[in-house]
Amino acid sequence: MSQKKYWKGLEELANTPEYQQSVANEFNEELPLDLSDNLLNATTPRRDFLKFLGFSTLAATVAASCEMPVRKAIPYAIKPEDIIPGVPNYYASTFVDNGDIIPVVVKTREGRPIMIEGNTLSTITAGGSSARMVAATLSLYDKTRLRQPHVDGKPVDTFDAVDSGIMSGLAAGGAIYLLTGTISSPTTEQSIAQFLAKYPTAKHVTYDPVSYSGMLLANEASYGSRMIPNYLFEKAKTIFSLGADFLGTWLSPVEFSKGYTIGRKIEGKNAKTAEMAKHYQVEGMLSMTGANADERATCKPSEYGKVAAALYSAVTTGAAPNTGSKNLDKMLVKAAADLKKGNGLVVSGSNDVNVQIIINAINNAIGANGTTIDFANPLKYKKGIDADMVALVDAMNAGQVSSLLIHGVNPAYEYFDGVKFLAGLKKVKTTVSFSDRLDETAKECKYVVSDHHWLESWGDAEPKANYISFIQPTIAPLFKTRAFQDSLLKWAGATGTYHDLFNAYWNGKLGQATFDKALQDGIIEPATPAVSGASFSGNVADAIAKASAVKGGEYEIVVFQNVAMGHGGAWSNNPWLQEMPDPVTKVAWDNYVMMSPKTAKEKFEAELTSINQVDPKKRLLKLKVGNKEVTLPVIVTPGMHHNVVAVAVGYGRSEGVGRAAANLGKNTYPLVSFNGTFTYNAPVTIEKTAEFYPVAVTQTHNSAETRPIIYEYTLEKFKENPYELIDERREAIEHYLTAPNEEHHEGHDAYGKGDKFDAKKFEEDFRKNGTHYPVHESMGLHWAMSIDLNTCTGCAACVIACQAENNVSVVGKDRVIKVQEMSWLKIDRYFSGDPNDPDTIQTVFQPMLCQHCDNAPCENVCPVSATNHSSEGLNQMAYNRCIGTKYCANNCPFKVRRFNWFDWNGADCFDDNLYEDGRRDDINDDLTRMVLNPDVTVRSRGVMEKCSFCVQRLQDGKLTAKKEGTPLKDHHVKTACQSACANGCITFGNVNDKESAVFQDRYVNNKERLFYMLESIHVLPNVSYLSKIRNTDVVMNGSEHDEVYNKHI
Amino acid sequence: MHLKYESFIREPLVDGNKTYKDVTADICRPIEQKPSKLWYFGLVVSLLFLGFGAFSVFWEVYWGIGVWGINHTIGWGWDITNFVWWVGIGHAGTLISAILLLFRQHWRTGVNRAAEAMTIFAVMCAGQFPIFHMGRVWDAMYVLPLPNTRGPLWPNFNSALLWDVFAISTYFTVSLLFWYSGLIPDFATIRDRAKTKLRKRLYGLASFGWTGTAKNWQRFEALSLVLAGLSTPLVLSVHTIVSFDFATSVIPGWHATIFPPYFVAGAIFSGFAMVNTLLILVRKIYHLEEYITMGHIEAMNKVIVLTGSIVGIAYLTELFMAWYSQVVYEQEAFKWRVLGPYWWSYWAMMTCNVVSPQFFWFKKLRRNIVFSFILSIVVNIGMWFERFVIIATTLYRDYIPSNWSYYSPTWPELGFYLGTFGLFFTCFLLFSKYFPVIAIAEIKFVLKTTGDKAHEDNLALEEKSLEEFIHIAEHAH
Repeated sequence: MSQKKYWKGLEELANTPEYQQSVANEFNEELPLDLSDNLLNATTPRRDFLKFLGFSTLAATVAASCEMPVRKAIPYAIKPEDIIPGVPNYYASTFVDNGDIIPVVVKTREGRPIMIEGNTLSTITAGGSSARMVAATLSLYDKTRLRQPHVDGKPVDTFDAVDSGIMSGLAAGGAIYLLTGTISSPTTEQSIAQFLAKYPTAKHVTYDPVSYSGMLLANEASYGSRMIPNYLFEKAKTIFSLGADFLGTWLSPVEFSKGYTIGRKIEGKNAKTAEMAKHYQVEGMLSMTGANADERATCKPSEYGKVAAALYSAVTTGAAPNTGSKNLDKMLVKAAADLKKGNGLVVSGSNDVNVQIIINAINNAIGANGTTIDFANPLKYKKGIDADMVALVDAMNAGQVSSLLIHGVNPAYEYFDGVKFLAGLKKVKTTVSFSDRLDETAKECKYVVSDHHWLESWGDAEPKANYISFIQPTIAPLFKTRAFQDSLLKWAGATGTYHDLFNAYWNGKLGQATFDKALQDGIIEPATPAVSGASFSGNVADAIAKASAVKGGEYEIVVFQNVAMGHGGAWSNNPWLQEMPDPVTKVAWDNYVMMSPKTAKEKFEAELTSINQVDPKKRLLKLKVGNKEVTLPVIVTPGMHHNVVAVAVGYGRSEGVGRAAANLGKNTYPLVSFNGTFTYNAPVTIEKTAEFYPVAVTQTHNSAETRPIIYEYTLEKFKENPYELIDERREAIEHYLTAPNEEHHEGHDAYGKGDKFDAKKFEEDFRKNGTHYPVHESMGLHWAMSIDLNTCTGCAACVIACQAENNVSVVGKDRVIKVQEMSWLKIDRYFSGDPNDPDTIQTVFQPMLCQHCDNAPCENVCPVSATNHSSEGLNQMAYNRCIGTKYCANNCPFKVRRFNWFDWNGADCFDDNLYEDGRRDDINDDLTRMVLNPDVTVRSRGVMEKCSFCVQRLQDGKLTAKKEGTPLKDHHVKTACQSACANGCITFGNVNDKESAVFQDRYVNNKERLFYMLESIHVLPNVSYLSKIRNTDVVMNGSEHDEVYNKHI
Repeated sequence: MHLKYESFIREPLVDGNKTYKDVTADICRPIEQKPSKLWYFGLVVSLLFLGFGAFSVFWEVYWGIGVWGINHTIGWGWDITNFVWWVGIGHAGTLISAILLLFRQHWRTGVNRAAEAMTIFAVMCAGQFPIFHMGRVWDAMYVLPLPNTRGPLWPNFNSALLWDVFAISTYFTVSLLFWYSGLIPDFATIRDRAKTKLRKRLYGLASFGWTGTAKNWQRFEALSLVLAGLSTPLVLSVHTIVSFDFATSVIPGWHATIFPPYFVAGAIFSGFAMVNTLLILVRKIYHLEEYITMGHIEAMNKVIVLTGSIVGIAYLTELFMAWYSQVVYEQEAFKWRVLGPYWWSYWAMMTCNVVSPQFFWFKKLRRNIVFSFILSIVVNIGMWFERFVIIATTLYRDYIPSNWSYYSPTWPELGFYLGTFGLFFTCFLLFSKYFPVIAIAEIKFVLKTTGDKAHEDNLALEEKSLEEFIHIAEHAH
């Protein structure tokens, strides 16, 4: 078949040359564009003009747009398999800091760790966290961290440059010392062993800046083994603490706090049979633990021996104590009786061997060994023996040390005689530091080979015997750092890396499959923990004689770790922790002298009351211990023994530690002395100076003023009449329970009496009838939180968790003084009792956050509706809409709204107006900003912000539930503060769900203890509180004994 | 015995045997003369203050509200204190123009022009504070119910702050119209007297072609009356609404039903004091003692003692209610207000506002020019403290004791306040130079019946016997 030919027109058929030409020329009409000079004379000047206008406008726009800020967002060229942008990954790891060990889960987003939460699989801490643990992400991104190895204070580019020098130094012979903090990692111990094997002259010295030598040695004397047993606070019915801050800083506070609060949980529905552990505390200063005690008495720290001896006699012989303080004697009698009932536990924070031997004897006498004290799984947090360190420093000074490798400790700062240490260090030829920064010690060392941050490392930790927690890297090392263990192995001439060793060790022990599972879980624990006792074989009489002979002074000083800063270390340069108010004094950004109100007023012209509470200027006092001297401002603190002052360590750092830490406060380690063990208390002389120093105190008023914002009952009263609080609530709002045109219910019958009380109906009637306006129906989800005042110990882990989760800005000391801090969640602390009698002081902690009122006063006053209510009961902020009138903050009865007074974080549209104070500024560094949670907006200057109930987590939880196709349940959502709380004091969920914990807590289990803040003003908060129950004889708050209120302090 | 045609009590409203011509000449003199050195000095000082204020505001807008001393407990400080203070001052003008016009109080003619000018300038000053106290002032238009593409998204009509926006802008608009319409005949007078072309041109424009016909005057009168009727409720509404900023809140010390009348009385109190301050200066500087007489000052002083006493009763009522209510927060709020760390501000307020005006019960003191001047300033200091007490010393001790704090202002806050003084006096000095400070036309209305000239004529009448008088009276018109 021949091919057919189609033509489109006669022209094509004819196929003339003209036609061919026109086909060849596609654009056969001339472009109507005249580019010649006579544009305006062209045939179509108007069109061309418009075209040129259009083009040039567009060009100008494009050119002008070149000023757009360059955003460094780099897409994955090849997407890693396990990273989905926007979806977080979680890795189990372990927080290790100077012996402090907490199993954690690290949240990473696009490969960077942004949030650390406790590992709930661990039975030790059960998901609890501490402020420092949560703040570790910020320390990871610390700008001050060294970015490469250093020799003689100068950076070098390769590890070879340091390795050769160090190895030749080590090979030169002479005594080699490896100085570390407590190492509780089995594989690290292996690598140390390899190192020691290579260098026969090498020795490993363990040194803990905050020492527990006294306990270790006392246990050796008492039980024949140098260890610290496992304390089971959850099993204790009576806890007696002699100066041990076991909820704040002593040994393993997260674990103890969790155990302690188990014994203190009360359910209203079982009120009649309620039991609660009783906590006695004897101490010189007011610690956070003391603030939680049921009964508390004070003594000088030099009298700890006497007090322990008196308690020992009272327990064993029933002899009446005679300590010289009536309160204390009375308390010791009571405590002895309670301890003898069984399940008692006595602990002491003293580092005096003899005091600890007496404590051991008491525990032995009351049968604590094997019940509340377990010897089967001893604690491995602290192993340092002080005398070893002192011997090392002596040897250094004697020129007997040729090489010193320092890991994890900073003796130039933390050792009581740092000057002597530095003098000795100069005589050591090869000095190596593994510090992550040029701190006080590292800057004097010849070589600095920085260790990885633990978030960048492999590793393991053994908090207790048989309990292992693994460390997994959550990010590739940010800088040219090398694992401490790798350095040791390298210098030991080993071929493999630490990771090989680690894998080989655990594979060998567990097998690959178990090891993989263990890494994923983060922990290995014995299936059934055995508890065993031990028999006491110490010489009590000798210990009593020696401990009682300790001489005190007129005034005594206690050198302590505060809850935020701990022993110091890198934490001093962590702005989150610096700005975290101390639980007891509510001071941020400084250390200071804590002193009793009476002494301060009578001797040192400093007052707790009047204008002094709001004046940031505090008098400077000069403290002298021996020939050491520090000058610090005084913070008047009720509950301090009249003759005791207390100062915290961790301040007064050198420039190399970082901007936030440098020269802030004073170093108080020099006030520690060595007396066989380090002694953290000493006689002191105090001089008044005429100078003042501004201190950032976040809470200036100390009394709750008997206002119905906190309810406290004694256990006895609560058991007698659990319904007292219900009656008080009824009385306060009785008239608003019925609609105006209805008759008032007579009596209480409408809601049922006693345990028949219908808390839900009561609330609903008040909600409906307490207002003239129609009430919004609450359907579906309704978020609510319940906070148990009984189990809140004030540790502030939630405060830091909130800060980390919600990108809450740090404002710096000056702005804290101006009361312009940004914390969404704060912990209010109120004192009651007689400030002139420290033994009467009672303390209550109350977490305070946006109450998410359903009838929120902030919402109706906003002129632009920037703050409004969600259908799920959230009081929410539309930052973009906010114009910053601050009216909402003024009208908030709880004053929990936070205004962005400055451009704290570079989110402002103005250039160059970032707030800077020279101290907090590293927080805006590009590196440090990696800590920001990408799910939460960084707020700009001039807008209001506040707690959002972690709305991003709620949204995430809702999506998860939706994907699962189930209704949303408690396990789908946890707010940051809730998951941080080791004590389970925060319950959160959907209150419309009758199975939710918060519903159960409010209306079923604990309706007897339920209250809302300022209920009578009908703002209808979605945060409720549970009353505080004290296992004591009298509640001071509001009683005639409450001089803090009666004298209006 | 002679009959008394004239009141025993009322003194003449215009002293000095003035004719219409004299009146015009006297009042136009400052406009037609070169200003004095004192005027230039005043203007330079005012401009310096204004400049410093502008710099302070720039500083605050650039760096953030944090440069002020306010904090998250005390979210309003000098800003809103000054706002309420200036708005309060801005009350006297309209009260004098509108309410006294309706009540036919002829003495108002001597002072109303200056008082209205003061009102307008005071409201201008007041308006600066709510604008620049915003954290994001560049988004200030969100408060206006403008059609928009954001949804559309409207302001929150429940918010008292939004009511303020409407109340203040309405008040400003009506006051400005009232003031300007009164100025039209006087501008025409100046135009007619003008000897330079430019002046003739400008005042000609400003007087809207006023020719002084009967029709003109009839409409002028009608407009005055309408505007007076419109402004009368505004006098009460503005400060009532300002008081709602506080009264509609839940904060003890703010949440009070007494606030509207108490604020209005306070506003009149401070407004009259400010009018007194200014008029005593103006009459001295421009030699207008014959128009702004001791009688005027005394009348103002009488209002001051009345409103001062009302305010005093309000203060005591607040204390009584705090006790009587038995609400712990209310009681404590007042306890801390009176005896707390800010006790001095409360007692400054009490002394200045309640005690000091009581001296005006004595006629001698009421008519003492120096005393009146000092007291007018004392009252304004006291009224400033009243606002400070209401705002700062309420917020610093509210429900939750852990939040309690203290507040002291910083230089940008002080600068902002001084800047509004600069703005105010700059405007006022320009006004006193270029505008007739006394309403020429209106003073002429009263001249015939209450001036010295009329007084003399009346004296002659009073000499006459009853019959003669009746005869004259019957045939007079």
